[in-house]
Amino acid sequence: MPAVNIIPLSAYLVAAILYAVHFVRRSAPLGRAATTALAGGALAHTFIIGMQTMQAGHVPFAGTSQAISIFVCLLALAYLYTEMTTEERAMGVFIVPLLVLLQALPVVSPGAERRAEVLDSPWFGVHVSALLFAYASFALACMIGITYVLLFKEIKAKHLGFFYARLPSLQVLDAMNLRAVTIGWVFLTVGVIVGAIWAVEARAGAIADPRLQAMSLNDPKIFVALICWAVYTFELYARGVIGWRGRRAAWLSAIGFAIVLLNFVPIGYFLTKSHNF
Amino acid sequence: MHLFLLGVSHRTAPVDLRERVDFSARGLDTALSALAERSTSSEAVVLSTCNRSELYVACDDVAAARRDLVDFLCSFHRLAADAVTPHLFEMTDAGVARHLFRVAAGLDSLVIGEPQILGQVKDAYQQAAEQQCAGALLNKLFHWSFLVGKRVRSETAVGEGAVSVSFAAVALAKKIFGQLGGLNVLVIGAGEMGKLTALHLKAQGIRQMAITSRTTAHAAALGEEMQATVVPWESRTAALGEADIVITATGSTLPVLARAEVEAVMRARRNRPLFLIDIALPRDVDPAAGELEEVFLYNIDDLHAIVQENLQRRGGELGRAEAIVAEEVEKFAAWLRSRSAIPTVVALRQRFEAIRRSELERLQPKLASLPPDVRARVDEVTHLIVEKLLHTPTEQLKAVPDPETMDIYSDALTRLFSLGLADGDDGMRRPPRTRTAVSPEGERPAVPVTDKKPVTS
Repeated sequence: MPAVNIIPLSAYLVAAILYAVHFVRRSAPLGRAATTALAGGALAHTFIIGMQTMQAGHVPFAGTSQAISIFVCLLALAYLYTEMTTEERAMGVFIVPLLVLLQALPVVSPGAERRAEVLDSPWFGVHVSALLFAYASFALACMIGITYVLLFKEIKAKHLGFFYARLPSLQVLDAMNLRAVTIGWVFLTVGVIVGAIWAVEARAGAIADPRLQAMSLNDPKIFVALICWAVYTFELYARGVIGWRGRRAAWLSAIGFAIVLLNFVPIGYFLTKSHNF
Repeated sequence: MHLFLLGVSHRTAPVDLRERVDFSARGLDTALSALAERSTSSEAVVLSTCNRSELYVACDDVAAARRDLVDFLCSFHRLAADAVTPHLFEMTDAGVARHLFRVAAGLDSLVIGEPQILGQVKDAYQQAAEQQCAGALLNKLFHWSFLVGKRVRSETAVGEGAVSVSFAAVALAKKIFGQLGGLNVLVIGAGEMGKLTALHLKAQGIRQMAITSRTTAHAAALGEEMQATVVPWESRTAALGEADIVITATGSTLPVLARAEVEAVMRARRNRPLFLIDIALPRDVDPAAGELEEVFLYNIDDLHAIVQENLQRRGGELGRAEAIVAEEVEKFAAWLRSRSAIPTVVALRQRFEAIRRSELERLQPKLASLPPDVRARVDEVTHLIVEKLLHTPTEQLKAVPDPETMDIYSDALTRLFSLGLADGDDGMRRPPRTRTAVSPEGERPAVPVTDKKPVTS
């Protein structure tokens, strides 16, 4: 992948700094500038991915780095959507730095230019898009959960300070968390099922690829993905049935996303034998 | 023309004097019309709240206006001069702006940053404007003060954080539940403080309010007053399960709500958040109940501590707020100075216009043979030349930084162009003419040339 990835990276970096200053100083113009920078970055990013799609004839999913880049773009768009629907900018300071960190990966390690022959299947596109979208939702849920815990602690400790003055209400944060986790869970489920169908189909096909043989529960990437699914399923169940809302749900989303990140970056780059495209 | 302010405020006068000079009792309109009958000031606004009574005027002679206003204040309120005089304070020109900007921003208030004062300043101005007592100078001053008030509130935290116990409780409820629209409130006990807090919550549009008290008669009376359902004391635990916010304000010496009781309720409500506001002294709710997940327990001391913290935080923002005021006062002062250039600018323009007109009149016989559109063009071109010649000197004059230099400039201009009284011979005293005087058949509508550019800008 060419060095164009540095364009959205710089925009995200500028946005991250602006969001941080906006959060501390609470200046509305700075907040608008931050949103503008982020929207600019996300637009440029979408455009770049679009161009690559045109060039390659398919969505550029060839390899972990490209997948991360698309994930970053999706997360930026998902965050911008929440910002617009909730008119709440305080969360940017937690999300945008994550965009910067993750976008740095494809810039540093561009990864494969061409995708393997075995991936030439419509199932593959659905599988990867669904999972990336799920991960973006989980990232949002995690950040919202962290802010929930920060605010919760201030209110419980009866020391109303920094976050009390800057964050939306606990109720709003909790509802946002639920929405993000639900959307993420649906896409995760779809992604995993489609992946399984595709693996079965590909094995029956003509192409012999050692990675296909590795696609089983013994592979760390697949195994950890299923753990993720279990964690988020439990979060939704516990919230609905036992009444684990608020802080407990927030912690579960944080744990879930930590596993997602683990699966996405170290396992995706180094450990998996089935998904090392 | 000068700005002048005379008044008493909570900083200069005790409450009994402030009460006696309160204008709102007899109506601002009476005060304004009484003030308008006096001729020392051409514009007036009366600002009267429980913490201040202030007279803002525009006048030519500050000393005369001061005497007149003191006299007005004493006669209007039937007070002896020496009872009032020691408590009066006064400001002139930019000082008036500084004072009013600070007042509008809530920096001069008893509780720093309190929001009502800006509305009171607006009302005071509105009243004066309706009675045509406010003119160009006070219009500008007051509209400017509204902007400063808004700017200080939006750019600093000087108005942030609740500064009373009941508002602190409402703010907390909002931070926990977001919108209070769909919530149920339960008031336990019929204490005055509990009632006040409940009223504030009610104003936020909560769904339902229930009241319970050991003395049924108290609960019934309060329930009727606040339009709330009365719950028998025995079924208070069931009511607790329904409620999202509970205010306890009983006179009981023993805790009314034990931890175990709250715990059972929380299990039944599947951990929906519960906000317990314990305003009673001694406390009504076992402090250990606050350790439960999703239970937020605040007692009167906690709320007092929040109020104190908020007050301190507001105080900490004062520096930034004062900096904004200083910046705006500086801009306003520049505007005031530029206004003092207006008489000279007007005289200069009239002088040039008169010369242009007399030259055109002199050439009238020669011009008469030209077609109308060419004559109109001649009129237009000469007008433009005058405008262009005057543009730079006008701007320079308005931007003069201090009154002394302004006097020197005005004096020089008056002498160089013989402005003032000595120039009656070339049309200065004639009424303004229209373009049609030169081109009667011109196609353009008759626009008075001298009105083309308002000089008061």
